[in-house]
Amino acid sequence: MMRNDPIKHVFIWPAVLVVLAISIFPLIYSLTTSFLSYRLIPPIPPRVVWLGNYGTLLQEPRFWNALFTTTLIALIAVGLQYAIGFGVALALNARVPGERLFRVALLLPMLLAPVAVALVARMMFNPTMGPLNQFLSQFGLVNLPFLTNGHWALGCIIAVEVWQWTPFVILMMLAGLQTLPEDVYEAAELENASAWQQFWGITFPMMLPISAAVVFIRLIESYKIMDTVFVMTGGGPGVDTETLTLFAYQEGFKKFNLGYTSALSFLFLIAITIIGVTYLALLRPHLEKRR
Amino acid sequence: MLRRTFLMLTTSLALACAGSQANAACSPDYTGVTLTVASQTGPYIASALKLGADEWAKKTCGKVNVVEFPWSELYPKIATSLTASDATFDLVSFAPAWLPDFVPYLSEMPKEMQSGKDWDDIEPAYRERLMVWEGKIYSQSMDGDVHTYTYRTDLFSDPKEKDAFKAKYGYDLAPPKTWKQYLDIAEFFQRPDKGLWGTAEAFRRGGQQFWFFFSHAAAYTNNPNYPGAMFFDPETMDAQINNPGWVKGLEEYIRASKLGPPNALNFSFGEVNAAVAGGQVAESIGWGDTGVIAADPKQSKISGKVGSAMLPGSDEIWNAKTKKWDKFPSVLPGPFMAFGGWQIAVPKAGKNQKAAWDFVKTLTSPEVSGQAAITGGSGVNPYRKSHTANLQLWSKIFSPEEAKEYLGAQSDSINAKNVALDMRLPGYFSYTEVVEIELGKALAGQTTPQAALDAMAKEWNRLTDEFGRAKQLAAYRAAMGLPPKN
Repeated sequence: MMRNDPIKHVFIWPAVLVVLAISIFPLIYSLTTSFLSYRLIPPIPPRVVWLGNYGTLLQEPRFWNALFTTTLIALIAVGLQYAIGFGVALALNARVPGERLFRVALLLPMLLAPVAVALVARMMFNPTMGPLNQFLSQFGLVNLPFLTNGHWALGCIIAVEVWQWTPFVILMMLAGLQTLPEDVYEAAELENASAWQQFWGITFPMMLPISAAVVFIRLIESYKIMDTVFVMTGGGPGVDTETLTLFAYQEGFKKFNLGYTSALSFLFLIAITIIGVTYLALLRPHLEKRR
Repeated sequence: MLRRTFLMLTTSLALACAGSQANAACSPDYTGVTLTVASQTGPYIASALKLGADEWAKKTCGKVNVVEFPWSELYPKIATSLTASDATFDLVSFAPAWLPDFVPYLSEMPKEMQSGKDWDDIEPAYRERLMVWEGKIYSQSMDGDVHTYTYRTDLFSDPKEKDAFKAKYGYDLAPPKTWKQYLDIAEFFQRPDKGLWGTAEAFRRGGQQFWFFFSHAAAYTNNPNYPGAMFFDPETMDAQINNPGWVKGLEEYIRASKLGPPNALNFSFGEVNAAVAGGQVAESIGWGDTGVIAADPKQSKISGKVGSAMLPGSDEIWNAKTKKWDKFPSVLPGPFMAFGGWQIAVPKAGKNQKAAWDFVKTLTSPEVSGQAAITGGSGVNPYRKSHTANLQLWSKIFSPEEAKEYLGAQSDSINAKNVALDMRLPGYFSYTEVVEIELGKALAGQTTPQAALDAMAKEWNRLTDEFGRAKQLAAYRAAMGLPPKN
């Protein structure tokens, strides 16, 4: 086939149209809606307010609270997932006895639906009937307010996130560890480098690219947390555990405030983009050093 | 050849006869029709719909598919389907408060269903008020909902408890007439070391919480001297939720949260029923399900010891017009039609509207609904006169004394002159969302009752302005049974 063969259009345009139809047009529609005051219930005819929705949102304490809560959950949960995940991956890579069994068992949480995990967690943290409080009462810690106090509830959500998604980090890090060359470690051993020195001098720097990717994926995913919070606390008490996606859901699917919700979604997109770009900018010097 | 033709003819005739006989059993014949009903997750209401579905299937040979959604998901699912005008659901079951939002998408009830013995049997509070929107009937009540009071008769009739209570509070231990007495009783029975607590109410966001708060406030805000002013001023549509009556209601609701089992803040109505049936609490308020579940020996530890009464009231009620407390010569009971009972309606976009209304007729018939009302966990409470009049029906679950108190509390509450109606307004969820958020903060002690209520009032006024004050005022007056404002 020649470069200017018109047949190329037959192959390219269907794909372009599909991408436009399922991605670009809804995005443009959503952006347009964000400039409108538009409610389905009660039905109010759309009215152009330009940046009015954005202005209202930026002055809305609930938006900033949701952004703060989401960031807190994402940073703490991903930090813990990375630390624990990397540690477990190192242990599994060291060929501990029963490694295969551990590998399968540790992956199970990731295979479960977040809604199911959140439901089980809600039962576990149930103040009166939950096994956790019953267990803790043996040590004199009576009825801890797991889901009825804002700080405790945030801690519980983070704990569930860590439990469920650490296996993903383990999987990725283990795959990375298994590709590291053996000879570098043999050379380090000849130089009498301790295990700690080997980790900081060889393993960690060589694992940096994959670490950066894993943390980036988990960070973006964590910002989208919705189902776990929805089931465990519904955003409460008050709005103490309300995340950005849950806030958007409440506005969009409970109040059918479409213009406002579209603006919220775009602000969310902007926030995620800023976080992603900052993260990559911070890591770039270290990653470039590796090349 | 002739023989074979004769045989074929005979067989055909026999088959045709059999067919016509089968169809005769289906009256009206809806063979091949499958209706899809949107419901909240069972057993509450979904099981009642299934009971009705079985009866309807026997009668008409049609089928009913009950699709269940969690309570918090039901409104968005129905609203999305209705506003998209798709025919996903042939019937939708919902809260009366959502009716104003759904009305543009619902078909009107056939006129022939709006008369007759079964029609007159529906309690007027439902037939003439909650089922009506702007003079038309778009939905049928399939459940009656009014908050009542439930207590343990074994504790209340114990001479030792009675003496100790009188010595401490100076009056007899009996179902409370006022909310102060209700809190006194809760405090008296607060004995965590013995696994007994004062009261159980719903306090969890998304767990039917705000209806319990409204029940407390109704006693101080539903003033017969200025009807319909509980939630908004019916003249100006200014929010009333931060007036002194509401503040008193919220203070007492918060106090009740501290007189319940540990972490009662996480209770939804389901947990309230479990606490009552488990004998964990001395008293409680809630819908009629509480009494039915508590009386059922299969589900309850206090079967045979269940007392019922109307909600407590007050002899002082805030007047939103004069902005003063009105003093009454005696305590006015404060029944509140919390939620108002599940309703069922037929969307305009439905493809089987005739069959759907026929199903509604069967589901809400005195026989089928009466059976649902005495089934613990069906979620159906009395809404027909025949439900509360038929003591024989209730003898299956209650002792005669229990039945008398339970049915008396239900009937007296629904028919009370000063019964408070729940809020019904377009944009209902926008109004109640801020209530849930601020209640959560107030219950957790993050804000004062007055500050929480001020935040609610501010948001309610903002929403009213956004939705159109005149339009909302007209809707609110209609919902409260007041004539249109000139």
